[in-house]
Amino acid sequence: MFFNSFSFAIFLPIVFLLYWFVFNKTKSTQNAVLIIASYYFYSCWDWRFLFLLVFSTFLDYYTGIMIEKAKTELGRKFWFWLSISVNLGFLGIFKYYNFFADSFSQLLNGFGLQTSPLLLNVILPVGISFYTFHGLSYVIDIYLKRIKAEFNFVDYSLFVSYFPLLVAGPIERATHLLPQVKVKRSFDFQKAKEGIFQFVWGLVKKVVIADTCATYANAIFDNYESMNSLSLMLGAVYFAFQIYGDFSGYSDMALGMSKLFGIDLLRNFNYPYFSRDIAEFWRRWHISLSSWFRDYLYIPLGGSSGGTAMKVRNTFIIFLVSGFWHGANWTFIAWGFINALYFLPLLLLKKNRSNMETVVLYWDFASVRVFLNILSTFALTCLAWIFFRAKTIEEAFNYIKRMFSDGRFVSQYMENERYNYELLVMVAVFVVVEWNSRTHIEPISGKYSWLKLGLCLAAIVALGTYSDYKEFIYFQF
Amino acid sequence: MKQFLIFTVKTLVLLFLLLVVLDFMYTTVYLQASNRGKIDYVYNSKPRIYDVVILGSSRANNHFVTQLFQEKGLKTFNYGMSGGHLFETSLLLKLMVERNYTIKNIIIETDLNLSNEHRAEGIASKFLPYIHDSNLVKEHFSGEKDFWQLYYIPFYRYIGFDAQIGFREMFFNFIHKKTAHLQNSGYAALEVGKKGNMKNDIRALKPIHNKYYEEIKQICANNNINLIAVMTPICSNTKGLDYFEKANKIYPEIHNYENVVQGDHYFSSCGHMNDAGARLFTATIIKDFFSLTKPLQRKSGQ
Repeated sequence: MFFNSFSFAIFLPIVFLLYWFVFNKTKSTQNAVLIIASYYFYSCWDWRFLFLLVFSTFLDYYTGIMIEKAKTELGRKFWFWLSISVNLGFLGIFKYYNFFADSFSQLLNGFGLQTSPLLLNVILPVGISFYTFHGLSYVIDIYLKRIKAEFNFVDYSLFVSYFPLLVAGPIERATHLLPQVKVKRSFDFQKAKEGIFQFVWGLVKKVVIADTCATYANAIFDNYESMNSLSLMLGAVYFAFQIYGDFSGYSDMALGMSKLFGIDLLRNFNYPYFSRDIAEFWRRWHISLSSWFRDYLYIPLGGSSGGTAMKVRNTFIIFLVSGFWHGANWTFIAWGFINALYFLPLLLLKKNRSNMETVVLYWDFASVRVFLNILSTFALTCLAWIFFRAKTIEEAFNYIKRMFSDGRFVSQYMENERYNYELLVMVAVFVVVEWNSRTHIEPISGKYSWLKLGLCLAAIVALGTYSDYKEFIYFQF
Repeated sequence: MKQFLIFTVKTLVLLFLLLVVLDFMYTTVYLQASNRGKIDYVYNSKPRIYDVVILGSSRANNHFVTQLFQEKGLKTFNYGMSGGHLFETSLLLKLMVERNYTIKNIIIETDLNLSNEHRAEGIASKFLPYIHDSNLVKEHFSGEKDFWQLYYIPFYRYIGFDAQIGFREMFFNFIHKKTAHLQNSGYAALEVGKKGNMKNDIRALKPIHNKYYEEIKQICANNNINLIAVMTPICSNTKGLDYFEKANKIYPEIHNYENVVQGDHYFSSCGHMNDAGARLFTATIIKDFFSLTKPLQRKSGQ
């Protein structure tokens, strides 16, 4: 059940009505409605994995309590590592086992030892990377005594399984979400209205921008050997907007619908393509994951506090792990590695925190430089996205090689019976709208909101891509 | 909450109005179109006179060279539609008759398309802009399981078939951008020397008593049109070639030309001949049916 599906359009109003009109007396009844709705939502994907979700929830709930109750440090450590190993064990088996088995076999084959890996025929449970990380952050926070364990199982289950964030984030923190589910929510019209606006804008990003860009990006990436330089460059740009529209659109829908239930979720994107350097990009892209890795990996490893060697090591670790989190493929690791390379000069020159405020442009020379910085950061990002999108690293290198060596910068008719340049106007309009609303959550609220809402709805129905339906990219992670 | 419910109702009303307005705009544009494809070329046309009209799928569109008919003095147009089934062929013929076309002969490709009565989404959708304007189109779609949505929900058809009749296509219709579909009097030549998949497996296909073929026969009989039904060539590396014999058992009047063009060099892919193969095949058809001024009724089952 996708957020942009017909079945979800039935599901959401029913849950909304039950939540505010039938079971609105206490926080417990409100939470009970949401947890039942969340489990139903998850079971629509694959009911068999509901048991995995419930088990994972129970494990972290129980180990959290046991860590807090443990009388000795050894006991605390025992429950902590039990939770960590089981959580990562599930993730490892379902998501990474085949990758490791295959890579190990290839390594042995490289040494002349012929082996065939024992691969498991398993389906990746949807959202496993997200809800595992929810649970991990909760247990780590209890172990580090940042929070108290939650004794109410329904409240804790809702923190892990709340349907807007269940399958593709944002990755919530117990410190942020749990306090909200511990109190009865009252209806707030302004918040709900903002939620509708954010949901609609997310839908624009998904069906108008992401799915349309996907049609072109797929035609280019899948036939890159016959594409000219211009097509290949546009392919990378279209994919950049596809993945941004897809993931940030999903996040906007999740945040927007959550506001309908009176619950705020963590912001996940903050106009990342207007970043002036890669460090700023990573403060604005998939913020809940970046901050998760910062808090639970980078800082425990020593962060930026040690010597240069330690900083470099930690930077590479966090980017490589971040790449690997996205999927069990060398292309994602390469993508993480490239981003680490981009980030490194900023770190070494201590410029990684030089662009903290929202970008502003004026009609002066300094702004030209800022504009060029934005363009060059976007270009570097697109180059890295090629590795993210390609099926293999070899394919990514061939794509880039052809992009710079073909030398033809002309229009090209593609396999999807479209010209390579056709989407440029739509992408440009999207960029202008995003630029003008970069200090807001979404562009609809404010003056003329009915007009803007009407334009967005018209764009969704008239410009959206429906027949060539694309799943949300991040569901596979 | 009351405020929110009013806001939600207003938003839904706004959405509904947008759907109605957009539906009206798109339909208006499609009602002016006549140079994008064969369906609008027929729908928005005045009466036409033809000696020969060719109908069918891509195996008609790519196989009947209209120029060769015209050289014989036969006014011909190839209305074969790539990807089309008999569902669309039948509707196209109904529209021609409704527009008072005078047609002496119809050559219809009836072979693999006999195996189903489903609509071909990509082609059938091109009739949908006219569903409110034409009773014929409405009636033809009335048995479809999504008819209610297609007919009663404004703009639904343009959303559901956005790749075929969505914004991009509407815009090109609006600016009267031409396509290649109507060039060469509808014949689409496939390049000689270009090789596609030269294997085919049609064992899963079963010819059936096809209601749309029956409709076409009835229309031709009612309007005094000479119907020539043919099965067109397919490459020799096809599994399940007995399909054509089975089809002939159900419909003995269909002329079987499945094996009249031999050799992979005449094919662009297993089911589609290239221009050279199409010319060879068309010449055979002309010789068999149009060698005299009056079309011959060829002995069936050759």
